[in-house]
Formats: sequence, structure tokens, C-alpha cells
Amino acid sequence: MSSKESCRNELRTAIRQLSDRCLYSASKWAAEQLVGIEQDPAKFTPSNTRFQRGSSSIRRRFRTNEITSTPPTGVAYVSTPVMEEDEVIHGDFYLLAKSYFDCREYRRAAHVLRDQTGKKSVFLRCYALYLAGEKRKEEEMIELEGPLGKSDTVNRELVSLERELSTLCKNNMIDPFGLYLYGLVLKEKGNENLARKVLVESVNSYPWNWSAWSELQSLCTTVDLLNSLNLSNHWMKEFFLASVYQELRMHNESLVKYENLQGNFTFSNYIQAQIAKARYSLREFEQVEVIFEDLLRNDPYRVEDMDTYSNVLYTKECFSALSYLAHRVIMTDKYRPESCCIIGNYYSLKGQHEKSVMYFRRALKLNKNYLSAWTLMGHEYVEMKNTPAAVDAYRRAVDINPRDYRAWYGLGQAYEMMGMPHYALHYFRKSVFFQPIDSRLWIAMAQCYESEQLHMLEEAIKCYKRAANCNDTEAIALHRLAKLHRELGHPEEAAFYYKKDLERMEAEEREGPNIVEALMFLATHYKAQKRFEEAEVYCTRLLDYTGPERETAKNLLRGMRIAQSSFPSMDVEHFHP
Amino acid sequence: MAGALKPPSAFAITPHKVSLCILVQIYASPSQVSVPFPFSSVSQHNRLGLYLLALTKSCDDILEPKLDQLISQLREIGGLLDHWLTDHLTSRLSSLSSPDDLFNFFNDMRGILGGPDSGVMEDDQVILDPNSNLGMFLRRCILAFNLLTFEGICHLLTNIGIYCKEAISSCSSYELRRLDDSGNDLESLSEYENMDLNLVFKKINEEMEARKRATERVSFHLHLPKELSTLVEDIEVFADPKSEHYDKGRESSSYASSGDLLRDFDPNGGVFLRTNWQIQGYLTEQADAIEKHGSSFTLNAFELTLRQLQKLAPELHRVHFLRYLNSLYHDDYFSALENLHRYFDYSAGIEGFDFVPPTGCNSFGRYEIALLCLGMMHFHFGHPKQALEVLTEAVRVSQQHSNDTCLAYTLAAISNLLSEIGFSTTSGILGSPFSPMTSVGTSLSVQQQLFVLLKGSLKRAESLKLKQLVAANHLSMAKFDLTHVQRPLLSFGPKASMKLRTCPISVCKELRLGYHLISEFCCEGSTMTTDGAFSTAWLKNLQKPMGSLVLSQDNSSRNNSNPFLFCAQPSSIPGSVLQLVGSSYLHRATAWEIYGSAPLARVNALVYATCFADASSSSDAALVHVKLVQHLAVFKGYKEAFAALKIAEEKFLCVSKSWILILKLQLLHERALHRGHLKLAQQVCDELGVLASSVTAVDMDLKTEASLRHARTLLAAKQFSQAAAVAHSLFCMCYKFNLQVESASVLLLLAEIHMKSGNAVVGLPYALASLSYCQSFNLDLLRASATLTLAELWLSLGSNHTKTALSLIHGAFPMILGHGGLELSGRAYITEAKCYLSDPNFSVSDNPEVVLDPLRQASDELQALEYHELAAEAFYLMAIVFDKLGQLEKREEAAASFKNHIVALENSQNVEDLLLSV
Repeated sequence: MSSKESCRNELRTAIRQLSDRCLYSASKWAAEQLVGIEQDPAKFTPSNTRFQRGSSSIRRRFRTNEITSTPPTGVAYVSTPVMEEDEVIHGDFYLLAKSYFDCREYRRAAHVLRDQTGKKSVFLRCYALYLAGEKRKEEEMIELEGPLGKSDTVNRELVSLERELSTLCKNNMIDPFGLYLYGLVLKEKGNENLARKVLVESVNSYPWNWSAWSELQSLCTTVDLLNSLNLSNHWMKEFFLASVYQELRMHNESLVKYENLQGNFTFSNYIQAQIAKARYSLREFEQVEVIFEDLLRNDPYRVEDMDTYSNVLYTKECFSALSYLAHRVIMTDKYRPESCCIIGNYYSLKGQHEKSVMYFRRALKLNKNYLSAWTLMGHEYVEMKNTPAAVDAYRRAVDINPRDYRAWYGLGQAYEMMGMPHYALHYFRKSVFFQPIDSRLWIAMAQCYESEQLHMLEEAIKCYKRAANCNDTEAIALHRLAKLHRELGHPEEAAFYYKKDLERMEAEEREGPNIVEALMFLATHYKAQKRFEEAEVYCTRLLDYTGPERETAKNLLRGMRIAQSSFPSMDVEHFHP
Repeated sequence: MAGALKPPSAFAITPHKVSLCILVQIYASPSQVSVPFPFSSVSQHNRLGLYLLALTKSCDDILEPKLDQLISQLREIGGLLDHWLTDHLTSRLSSLSSPDDLFNFFNDMRGILGGPDSGVMEDDQVILDPNSNLGMFLRRCILAFNLLTFEGICHLLTNIGIYCKEAISSCSSYELRRLDDSGNDLESLSEYENMDLNLVFKKINEEMEARKRATERVSFHLHLPKELSTLVEDIEVFADPKSEHYDKGRESSSYASSGDLLRDFDPNGGVFLRTNWQIQGYLTEQADAIEKHGSSFTLNAFELTLRQLQKLAPELHRVHFLRYLNSLYHDDYFSALENLHRYFDYSAGIEGFDFVPPTGCNSFGRYEIALLCLGMMHFHFGHPKQALEVLTEAVRVSQQHSNDTCLAYTLAAISNLLSEIGFSTTSGILGSPFSPMTSVGTSLSVQQQLFVLLKGSLKRAESLKLKQLVAANHLSMAKFDLTHVQRPLLSFGPKASMKLRTCPISVCKELRLGYHLISEFCCEGSTMTTDGAFSTAWLKNLQKPMGSLVLSQDNSSRNNSNPFLFCAQPSSIPGSVLQLVGSSYLHRATAWEIYGSAPLARVNALVYATCFADASSSSDAALVHVKLVQHLAVFKGYKEAFAALKIAEEKFLCVSKSWILILKLQLLHERALHRGHLKLAQQVCDELGVLASSVTAVDMDLKTEASLRHARTLLAAKQFSQAAAVAHSLFCMCYKFNLQVESASVLLLLAEIHMKSGNAVVGLPYALASLSYCQSFNLDLLRASATLTLAELWLSLGSNHTKTALSLIHGAFPMILGHGGLELSGRAYITEAKCYLSDPNFSVSDNPEVVLDPLRQASDELQALEYHELAAEAFYLMAIVFDKLGQLEKREEAAASFKNHIVALENSQNVEDLLLSV
């Protein structure tokens, strides 16, 4: 990887160029990464470094391998020459236009630049027109408010923009920024293949524009598509790959990439949040919580990605922390889908499902393709026993992103609630297909098979086995497996699973009726098998518990002693087979 | 938003409605004379009124007509007035240039409404009653306008602008086209092709953009406003000759000369596909079409239409259902499954105009219908076990939600499944939910369960007054009665009343009961119509009186293919009813076939083919053709049968597993057997076997037929032990799956095998068993042929049994001659002659005709059939008789024919090799 210093220099130039072209979110992103690079302590005052130190605590706690600081060998990074600024003539008009743009008067900005031919001016004019169209589109969407899910409003500038940009592109009079805009327009118009091509060209010649990368990412919906891209090696590509992997649910690959990147960009909040999201998908909630806490300490007014944090808090049932988070985001920015989602989560945790639905709806008003809000709203409807509405909400989520296993799972649950287990199976199958490592999905499917209507126990056993193999935290699977095998008359398997379950419960220091049940079965089983020593161990353990089982255990023990003493030959036989 | 029950979208004011308001204003302008200014007669005035009434009734729109379409309709309405009307309309519309104009416009509208209590007409003055249809419409428009926000008004204004601009540009293009019609035909052709490709993906304002820049390209505009309707016609081209002519004809130069008359109608030539009703109707019609044409229906084109419809009306979930149907009939399992689930997730089974809200308000959706559909889908794809599981769940859920209608349908579906697909046992599948019905015990056989189910579902359907279901149940009951002996369900007590026979009378009764359906539908058909449908019908018929002669002639041919027929002719019998009645004829034909009356079977098949061909699904129609061709083969020989087959093949697509393909194989096999092409016969037979167990489930009937044919081929090849083994295992299978009718023919075959192998004594019990089967199932023709075999067996036992054999043959002769085919009667004649000849008391010279006449008959028939072996035998016998009579010339003749057949039989080997190599 190129040295930190060169990264810094590239980013500094890029930030200037990006914000000069009013590509604010890209420049914001670049600036975040710039500050994320570990500073040379020699050059900076202690106050500067103190600002950065805060975040290292979690790295110390969770960085298991320190290989990240060394760049991967064998990868030669292309250094892309920094662009040179072209025009100086008509600079005054540009300044005016940019001021208008900054005041969000897009059409005025475009009008000022109407006769300018420099690449920079052309880009800004087109970009301003595009944004004006977008703004109008958003407004119209609210004004014309059809039923949700329907939007026949389009950006009215797209056609003319496409025509102009394609001519420029043909005549080779376009810079990487123009290409980015062209790609954006093409994507909106549904011409995805060409859009991909154009965007790849843009990022290859100017890699620091994160917006272009994100557009490209949204167009890479499969691994094959990703592999077909012809991207030159630049350190920005690593960011891109990490993000694409995450989107394609290749969480481990994504984590590796991010941890590698952390070597250079040690203090990047962005990377930290992405790592948290990846770990969230891998269901490592404890770590995620720590990361987010740390993130909020450094960046207290952050709203991005905080919905993931709220999901973690929800799962861990941290009422006060969730309410605190909700309060904080609402003070920061009330009208963000993330904020609404966090509040919805809070009300859901409190059991106030109507209010929760209201906030999810608000989130959807702000962004109707906000996937997790549809899914979460579905959950709320399930809680409210309004299954048809829940089904509808989940289905919308699934139609937005067919890989959303939570919504598939929700659909299955809803149908199971309505007493249609066979119909529900279809949805459970879909959900485990997309997320085969989640034990809860397998357990839900197994329970479906187990239901009295279907009573397909063999299939249920298969599902429970899968669940037991993928780290079943609630330890349902083992117990159910043991029980099912016992019911089906497979004592050997039953004993095996009871034993495993017992070991597990011991390891986690759990108490409860399951232990007694397991001990009871094992004792009788081994007695029937004439393996008295083992049976005796379990019986004596049973004596620690109160209740009828204790008496049974005593009886068993007594029986075994009599058997052993009266038939010593049996004993011999047992030990000398 | 996310709730399952969505109210219809609010009444929104659109440019189309504004122009309607203008027209209403013209119609009801406050003047003092009885006929207001622009109108010259009362009838003209009334005509506009009727037109407006129809328009306002169909205003619950998904996509509204464009201005130019409205104008051209007005042209037909207004007659002489049309210029005035159009000019007034367009000028009025284009005068609306600022929001304030709109305010004033709607204020004026208020003026033409009468006061709240002006029920009476004052002095001939035309005042719109606020409670009349037009008045209500006007009031709704005014209210909707008043509710608009300022942004809304701005939108309305821009939309009106677009609305006018489109019309004007298309008008001008119209003029231009008239001038240089033939000039740019080629150019426009290519333009069209581009358009059609992009059409689906284009959005409306892009078209606006394109329009601006393409003022010089004229043909564009004519095409675009019809976006949806052209697409519809593209699908329907095979059925709608007129629109095809329109679309294609536009490019052809011949059209330019003759088309001037038509042009005036063209812009609305395609039926408007606009209102909710029409779209629903269109979808229903398409659903029927998919079912009717099966896999020959175009998959992708229809998919495109559906996709566009979905874009225009995202809340119309029925589209997903159509997609499901489309992929179902194209055997795309995954897409079918996906779309089925999607449809029911969105609609919860409560959508569409055939939905009748339940009396008790049940807010939980009706997902049991989803289960029913899913079950049928699995059935279609040949997953009987899964289908049964799903349907079981459907039964449970409908019981839970007390949806009796769905329950009745589900039960019917289950019984259909049980009767169609061979289950040897249902234990473990048909479980607890059936206990209320099968309370007699779970030890019942599949057939008994089926019977109980059928009875139960029939009773349910009757009590719910589901007429179609009742009829369908009667049909399946008839089918059951046809092939099953009625046994008492509980077998205890005296068994005196047990009568082990099928009951043809009950079959007949069930079939007749099913037939009542049609008369019931004739009486009450009118209840199915609705307001919306009427208005569409009226709009559609608009062209009739004014249209040219060409058009009105066209109309008659168009009628049976028009997508909106069912709207236009409310009293007609629905297609599904016709289909049911038709299938009752099909059942009759099959029943008579089984009972052994060839003429009656043929008559019923012919009735079906002539009367119900329009309504039938393609597979049913093919089945009828198969029956007719089979009849031809049996009675007229192969030449005619193959000629008929050719016609049938042209008519029906010969897809993977169609009736026609099976028929072809059957015919080929039989002919090969008769001609002695044994290798070919075996090959064909193997192919049949492959068809029997395809990817989609095992077809038991076909499977038994294939192995029956296999045994026959082996028999013909004189591999007796193998043939016997195959037949034996076949009999075991038939017994296991309760295929009793087939058992009878297998037993007969076994008897024949033993006879041919020279073990007549072993053959006798088989023949007798077959006879008793035939008796108890009333299989008269098969019984006759069993009797014949029995006679042959007796005959081969020695000459002292000829009397018995002869009397048996004479007993069977009426049946054989009346209903039997060529082969059977040929065999009977030969056997008769052999009986006489082997009778020691019989002398040929006394009565030569007694022998010669049957032999002559037999030889004629067998020659027609090209059955060399038997024909040779007949000629051989004939030659012997002639020899005894001393008629040498005739003897030589017969001997020559004998030799011909023998040579043909021996040569068959070579011919066959030739055939196989080809």
C-alpha cells in the first residue's frame, strides 16, 4: 500500500477538487478518511493526538491479529496522477454558480453556466440540473402521493442530460466527474450495463470519488458481476471491495478487508462503523455494542448506521441505552429515516406497537425503499396480531431486496401463526437459503415441521441438526433433538444428544428442568443398557435435586445395587465381553 | 398503506375529467329553448347525453383516453356537429392557461347545476339535476377541485397542457400523413420496430421529450397514445383480424388506397383498455385463454404486457396471478411458485371483482384460497404427495375460518387428485382433518375414501348452491361409478343385498344431473352483469351504426374473439359453464366407449367437437379428436385414420406429451403389429412407456397401456413365456391400484397368450375370469371379445367342442357386428368358418356359402386393416374350401392372395429395416 503520507496528499487534493465540484458527500467521505489516517506523532501537538487516541481503546481490546498494519504483499497499487485544474477563464461565473449551488438554487446555478464550455463548468451545470430534477421529483412524489410503493414520477431532466452527456462521451470531451454523472443518469434510466461500464471508467481515472464507487456498488448485485469489472488496483478499490462484500453477504471477506484497511486508516469512523455492521451480521452483538459505544464517544452527533446500533440494543433489551440513543438522534436530526427507525425500535421494545408502527411509517415516508423499516414494521404487525398487514409489509421488503432473510422469516412466522405450517415452510426455506448460518431460522423451520398438523419429525430432526451446528445460543436444538429421538424410539441418539446438552448446560452453568430431564433419561438409559457405573453417576447427580425425580433416582440406585450384588456374573460379563 | 384492505384511490381530477365537464356544460347549457344552441335535433342532443353518461360511468380509470381519442369518438357521436364540438372543446381547454382560469371554470360549472330542490323542469329550461348521474359527476369534480392544494392545481394545469399538446401534434401529424402516405413507409417501418422494443420501458415523460424533438417523424405519434391497447392487440393478433389489419396494414401501401374510410375510426379502433372493469375483464379473459391454449400461449409477450400493467397499476395484484398462470402453463415451476406466493401475500385472497365479501366480517384474509391454489399447482406439476399435504392444510384452514365454499372446492380438488393419480394407500397423508367425514373408520381403502369424499363434497356444494361445483362433482361421481363396483362401506350383517356390478343407470343419472347446469345458467345469467360492464359495452358498440359496411361485417367475425365479449353480452353463458357441459359429453363418449357402444361414443364425441370446440380447452379438444381418429382406425382402417391424424396434428400443437402424440404412437404400434413389423412395434411401445413416466408424475393409465402393448408385441413375436410374465405383472399392478377395467383386458390377453402357446386348458380360466369382470363392469364389447376368445379356446380343444364354440360365437355376433371393429369381426368370421369346417358332421359341398360368406367378409375387413397374418389365414381357408368344391380358378385366386399376404408378412422384416433406418 502506498505510504500514509501519499494517501494523505492524494486525499487532500481530492477533497479540494470534490468540494470544488460540489460533490459534497464524496468530499465528506474523503475528509473522514483523511482524518482517519494515523498522524505522525512527531509533527503534531499533543492536543491533536489526544483527539485520536480515544478510539484506540477498542482496537486494543478486539484486534486479535496485528497483521493489519502490514500491507498485503504482492499487490502493486497504481498511482493515479492527480488531476490538473483546467479553466481559469470565466472563473467568475463559476464562482457565482457555485455559490448558487451551495444555496441550493440549482436552476439558477445551471443558468449562470449556460454558455460555459470548460469541463468543470459543464459538469457543474449538468449536476445542478440533475439535482434540480431530483428535488422536483421528490416534491412531486409527495404532492401526487399515490398509494405507497407507487412512484410514477421521474426526474424530468434525465433525457436531456443523457443526450448531452452521451455526445460529450462520444467526442471524448468528458472528465471522470462527468462520467460519474453519466453513469448516475444511465442507472436511473435503467441502462445498467452501460452505467457499470461508464462508472468503471470514471473510478479508474479518478479513484477518490466515493460517490462513484457507491453507485458502482449498487450495480454489483452478484459476485459474477463484481468479478467481471475491470478495475485497476488502487487503495480505494479495497474500500469498494469491502463494501461490496458486505452487501453480498460475504461478511467474513468484508471483515478481513476492513481490518486490513484499518492498518492505514486507523482512526476512521467509517471503517469502524462498517466493521460493526459486518459483525452485527455475524451476530457478534457484544463486540458491536462496544464498537458503537466507542464510535459515539468520538462522534456523538452521528446518525448514520445508528439504526444498527439500536437493533443491537433492542436485541439485548437495553431500555435506557436505547432511549438515550433515541433522544440523542432526535435532537440531532429528527427527519432522518434512521432516527425514526430508532424510535420505532424503542417503542417496540416498550411494547407500544401502534406508536412503533407510526414511526416506521414515517421512516418509510422519508425513504420508501428503506428495507429494514418494512421488515421491522412487519414484526410490529405480527405483535399486534394483524397478520395480513404483516404479510404485506414483509412482502414489500422482500420485493425490494429478495435476499432479506429476516422478511422471509417473518413471512413464514406470520403464516405459521395463521395455522398454515405447510405454506409457511416455503418461506422458511427461502430464509435459510439466504442465511444458512442462523440457528433461529433453522429452529423455526424445525418447529414448523414438528407442528401437530404436519408432524414430519424426520425433517424436523434434520433442521435441528443444522441449528445445533450453527452455534445455537439459546440451546433449544440439542434439547429438542434429544427429545425427538426419544419419542421416535432411538435411545442411542437420544442419549448422545442428552449428554451433549448436559455438557453444554454445565459449561454455561444453567439450571432448570432440562437438566433433571437429561439426567433422568441418561440414568434409566444406561441402566437398561446395563452400564451401571455411568447410570450410578447420573443417579447420584439426580439426588441433588428435589422432587419426585429424587425418589426415582433412589429407587434406581437401589435396584442397581441389588442387581449387581445378586448377579455378580453379569458384572463379570460386562467387564469381560 | 400496508393494510390488506385498501380503499379505492380517491376521485382525482384529471384533464380527461375536465374535458368531460366541458362537454357536460355544452350538453346542459342554460338556455331557454328545448334544444340548446349547437344541436339541431333532440335525438342529437340525447345521443351526446347518452355518450356522456357512458363516459362518466366508466370514469373509475386506471388509464384515461387521450384527447385525440376522445375527439375521434366525438366525431362519431356528433355527426354534423363534430367540428363545432371539437373546436369548442380544444379552444376551451387551451384557454385554461393559469390557475385562476381553472378556478373560474369550476365556478361556471356550479352554475349549470340546479338548486337542491329543483326536481321539476322549469319552462323547458335544461338544468342538471344535482342528483342525476351527470350532476353527481359534476359535483364530484367540483368537490375534488376544491380539495386540491395549490400544488395540485399546478399539476392539473401542466397535465392539461400536455393533454392538449399531444392531441394537437397528433392531429397535425395526421394531416401530414395524409399527404405523403406512401412516401416514408419504409422509414416508418423501422421506426416502429424500434418503438415496439422500447415501448415497454419508456416512461411517459420521456415520450414527451421524444415527441418534442421528433416533429418531423410523423408516424411516431399515432402509435404512442395507444400504448396499452396496441400491446393487447399484439397478443391477440391471431384472434383479432381487424386490429391486425390495422397495425400491419398501416405500413402496407395497399392500405393507403383503401384505408381512407377506415382511418377515421382507427385511433379508437383498438378497444379502450382503461377502466378498472375492463382491465379486470381483460385479465379474466386472458386467464381463460391461457387455460384454453395451454402451452401454445405466448409466454414472453404476455409477460411484457403484464409487466407494463403492473407498472401502471401497482396495486392491481391480479397481475401477479396471471403471471402465475402464465408460468404454470409453461411449466416454469419456480416462477409459478414465486408468483403464486406473491399474489396471495399482497392480496390475501380478497381481491378482484369475483370476490364476494363474506357475511361475517373476517379481517384475516382468506389464505385458504392460497392453499387451494398451491395444491392445484402441485397437482399440475405432478407432485401428488405435496398436493395432498397442502390440500389437507387447506381443508383445515377453511374449517377454521369456516369458509365453506373453499372447503367444498378443496374437497372436490382432493377427490379429483385421488381419482386421477394412483395412490395405493393414503394412510398417513389423509389424516385427522378428515375424521369428521371419514368417521366410519380409517381402515377404508383409497377407493372407499374417494367415494366418501365425493359424496361429502357433492352434498356441500349442493347446500352452498355452487352450481358449477355441483355439476363438476356429478361428473366425477359419474366417472367413479363408471369404473367402480359399489360396495357397502361397512361389511357386516347379511350380505344378500350386495350386487357386485357397476351401475350404468347411475352413471347416466349423474351425467344428466350435471347437464342441468346449463339451463340454470340461461335463466339467471343477467345477474352477473354490472353497471361498469354496461357502459363499456355501449362505448364499444358506438361504432356499429356509423361504421362502414366493411366494419360491420367484420364485427360478426370479431365477436367471438373479442376480449370484452363477456362484458358486451351479459346474457351469454360463461365459458366455464360451457366447458363443464362439454366435458359431460366427453364423459358420455368415454362411458359408451367402455360399455362398448361404438356409435354412441362416436356421436357424443362429434357433438362435443362441433358444439363445444370454442369453449373447450385445447387438451379436451385434442382428446375428442383422438377419440374420433381411434374410431376411424378401428372401423375404417389405417389409411383414413392417418389422414385424419394429419389434420389433427395441424390443428393441435404436437408438444411433448400431448394426446395427439400418444395417439400417433398407438396407431403406429397397432399398424406395425398387424403388418408384422415387430421391431418397430417394440420401439414405438418403448416410446409410449417413456411418455408414461415423464418428469411430471406417472400416468397410470398410460403406463398400463404401454405394458399391455408390450405384452402384445411379445405375443406377436411368439415369446409366450415372456409375454405371460409381463401380462402377469401388469395384472398385479392393476389389482394393486384398483384398475379393474384394465384387469379385464389383461386377463383376456393372458387367455390369448395361453391359447396361442397351445395351452388352451390353462387359458380357459383366464377367459372365464375376464368374462366375469366384464359382466360386473358392464363392458359389453370386451365381453363379446372374451366370448370369442373362449370360443377359440373351445375350438382348439378338439373337434368335439365345435358345437359349444359355435353357440358361443353366435351369441356374441350381434354385439360384435353392431359395435366391434374390423379386427374383431374378422376374427369372429374366421372362427365361425373354422368351427364349421372342423365339425365332422358338416360337409362343404352341401352348403358352401355358410363357410364362404364369412370368409369373404373376413378377408375384406382384414385386408382393409392390412392384418396380413389373419388375412392369409382367411384366404388359406377359402382356398381349401374352393379346392373341395372343385372351383379351381377361384382356388388359384385365393391361393394367390394367400401368397401375397404371406410374402408381405415375410418381407416385413426387410421393410422394417428400411423403416428403422429412416
